[in-house]
Amino acid sequence: MPLRGIVNTARTLSYYTRLQELTANNLANVSSDAYKRDRLTARSLEGGGHPVPVQQVDLTQGTLRETGRPLDIAIDGAGFLVVGTAAGERLTRAGSLQLDAAGRLTDHHGDPILGEKGPIAISGAQLEIRGDGTVLVDGAEVDRLRLVTVPDPTRLLKEGYGRFVSDEATVPPPPATRLRQHAVEDANIDPMTGMVDLVMIQRAYTANVDALRAMDGLLSTITNDVGRVG
Amino acid sequence: MNPGLRTSASGMLAQQKMVDVIANNLANVNTTGFKRSRVSFEDVLYETVQGPRTVNAQSGETVSAVQIGKGVRLAAITRIHGQGAAEVTQRPLDLAIEGEGFFQVQRPDGTLAYTRDGTFTLSDSGSMVTANGYLLVPGITLPPDVSAVTVSPSGVVTADTGGGSLELGRIELARFVNPSGLLSVGENLYTETVASGTPIVGTAQEEGFGRLLQGVLEASNVEIVQEMTDMIAAQRAYEINAKAIRAGEEMMQVANEIIR
Repeated sequence: MPLRGIVNTARTLSYYTRLQELTANNLANVSSDAYKRDRLTARSLEGGGHPVPVQQVDLTQGTLRETGRPLDIAIDGAGFLVVGTAAGERLTRAGSLQLDAAGRLTDHHGDPILGEKGPIAISGAQLEIRGDGTVLVDGAEVDRLRLVTVPDPTRLLKEGYGRFVSDEATVPPPPATRLRQHAVEDANIDPMTGMVDLVMIQRAYTANVDALRAMDGLLSTITNDVGRVG
Repeated sequence: MNPGLRTSASGMLAQQKMVDVIANNLANVNTTGFKRSRVSFEDVLYETVQGPRTVNAQSGETVSAVQIGKGVRLAAITRIHGQGAAEVTQRPLDLAIEGEGFFQVQRPDGTLAYTRDGTFTLSDSGSMVTANGYLLVPGITLPPDVSAVTVSPSGVVTADTGGGSLELGRIELARFVNPSGLLSVGENLYTETVASGTPIVGTAQEEGFGRLLQGVLEASNVEIVQEMTDMIAAQRAYEINAKAIRAGEEMMQVANEIIR
């Protein structure tokens, strides 16, 4: 019995190590535009003694911060912008956009943000982006930013650069979703909660190490002392 | 070694950058026509430590993939070209643009640069130059016997001379579809880049351009309260990342003590 306990405790320790790494990553991204925090929970399986890690990306809305920059676009509500990358379409909420040499709207890595007609070229002086994604240059409608979501957000994978990969076809976002020009979305992280999590993780880890040691002691007694006569 | 340590270190570096940019904004709180910068960060690579899998063969229950992110990196530092407050100086050659546009000036190497700093003076030949002596483009030269200069909101410069009033020319402005893409070259000047787009030259008060105010300077658009609160947030975020390093380190220490 203690042997199995040791194996289970070792798995628990590795779960807490992961949880610590993940919390560290959330806290490192506390200032990243539109960062969505990761959540790692543990689930016990029937008859299993160790927790199975279950990860979720918490897609709750971050606070919108007014910047006054015309190329800053924040999404208010569920949904994503679409980035055309060499590896295929990616989803993002990080809407601090740039223009490339051809005047196209791009993300920080030069990949175009897609409209319904593909990449959006801006040539003019006045850019207006409406709540529904309509892009107007000098008052004339040019295109409409694609705003999408996925049927099952738990299947989204993160790719870094604020991008998500979806293995499902995208669907239109809920009608309440609006774009807000001149704003960016903050990360949805509460540093204080992260802090409390860190303390909890550390204590839980230590407690499990103590349990491991206790089981080791028990095992040592069984193997070395039980059956000894005199 | 706990990879979380490096993740947290990237978080500390990011907050350090944030503080650097805020410090520069604060240092320029009194710089005429200065525009504040904002730092954007983004997450970096993710390691998929466990793919999506079925945890219960009977019910077909699955859990999603477990991905661990590896920290944060600087994505961009963008300049925010919001309007600064108008500061009345009553000096006839102090000009401010209310709305969009930049003054065009010629640098000594002949290239054009753009500025919102309208502190103009006169060169020894009577031409309007910036505080650093760069010529306003197109050039405006005042005759020697001028008693007063008037700049209209649309940029027409008129001089009162002994022989009546004389129109000297018109100040032209340039604007860009993406002013944040301009390159800052110091001395309150910007130059054009591929990201800013090419300049669109026009006159004040025309489509999309702002109007000119005489005897007024545009103050920096840095707001001290905003920068200070951002600074406090950056400082706390720095500390929290340092605490995450300590937590990771102490866990490693506990692990090292499993066998004594």
